[in-house]
Amino acid sequence: MLEILKPGLETTVQELPGRIGHWEQGFPPSGPADPWSFRLANLLVGNDRDTAALEWQFVGPALRFHRDCTIALTGADMAVKLDDTPVPLWQTLRVRTGQVLTCGAARTGARGYIAIAGGVQTPAVLGSRATFHMAGIGGGSGGALKNGERLPLGEAASSRGLLQVAPAARPPIDLKDRTRHEEQAIAAMLGPNDSWLHSDAIEMFFSSEWTVQARSNRTGLRLTGPDFTFSERAYSKRPEHGRDPSNILDHGYPLGGISIAGQTAIILIHDAPSAGGFIIPFTVPRCDLWRLGQARPNEKLRFRQVTMNDASAARRRLDELCSHQSLVDLARWIA
Amino acid sequence: MSDAEVRSELPGTFYRSPAPGEPPFVEEGQAVKADTVIGIIELMKQFNDVTAGVAGVLRAFSVTDGDAVDADVTLALIATGGS
Repeated sequence: MLEILKPGLETTVQELPGRIGHWEQGFPPSGPADPWSFRLANLLVGNDRDTAALEWQFVGPALRFHRDCTIALTGADMAVKLDDTPVPLWQTLRVRTGQVLTCGAARTGARGYIAIAGGVQTPAVLGSRATFHMAGIGGGSGGALKNGERLPLGEAASSRGLLQVAPAARPPIDLKDRTRHEEQAIAAMLGPNDSWLHSDAIEMFFSSEWTVQARSNRTGLRLTGPDFTFSERAYSKRPEHGRDPSNILDHGYPLGGISIAGQTAIILIHDAPSAGGFIIPFTVPRCDLWRLGQARPNEKLRFRQVTMNDASAARRRLDELCSHQSLVDLARWIA
Repeated sequence: MSDAEVRSELPGTFYRSPAPGEPPFVEEGQAVKADTVIGIIELMKQFNDVTAGVAGVLRAFSVTDGDAVDADVTLALIATGGS
């Protein structure tokens, strides 16, 4: 059993694939905003990679373990201690009954993961353990973790030993680790409503810098940047679409959809609404959703145009990285 | 006199007042206790209290109302007394 001594800023239980099949009733998929780091954390502790684990945002929690556990932390870099000893991220850790894990604040990136062997066994709601905090579902008490809460843990599978994620297999969360070309800018596909933007605006989108507002959260990333111009399609439309050029008859919003509300670009992520009346001219494909989950306030983002084929290939590569091939056996024990 | 630095724990937007148009939590030169709220940082559409952390006199703010701040940035200086 896991006791929450301090909840951090907003820490939740998340699981993959998330809550599927209820979005038409307003329940988004939720799940980890950085699925890459999430899956590696689970693999480090011998869990299936989609097992329920904790996601912390900007400030991590303090936890007491009420049984011997194998755990691992991944995601945004932060200083973390087991009792009084600093411990590393991206590595299997052995914890003894009664020990306290104290997390600090994210130095780079925004979100991190704490996986425990056996998984977090909070009750599933509508088929998933993923938390949708705004609706108060998921977790132990419905929503983000609270002071004093106790979470049940599952039975651990037999130990896989002490493992570490190879540095090359980790997401490049720190800006200085983004050395490859495709890591500089976030992938974005055209559509579904790219035809509603003027071609100049499409070019402008891919050549401009977009600043992440502090007001961003798991619902969406609000961006500050240049103004959009619209095509004839956005003006010559039936009145039921709405008056503003960015208005469209309510339609389903894809995960990663970049909506334009008036002139405000908002990238819809894991807890976003299911539908609405604003156009979505671009969509961030699944392979780069982790970039959105790790975006810090005031970070400057750039986007690069990709095709469906590019996106599918990148997703397959990422899928391979989220496997045991990315783990290295450690020769020494961490006490 | 030694100055203690109040550092931000979070990135976000720093405000001197609880809401626009309301008076600031504290003024420069005001005496504060460790748990005195001296400002708020808005992040993820939530408002997080910034406390003085030490008792003393808030000598000066290092950031202004509405500034974008990163984590671990100096927000204010507090004179903690002693000679």
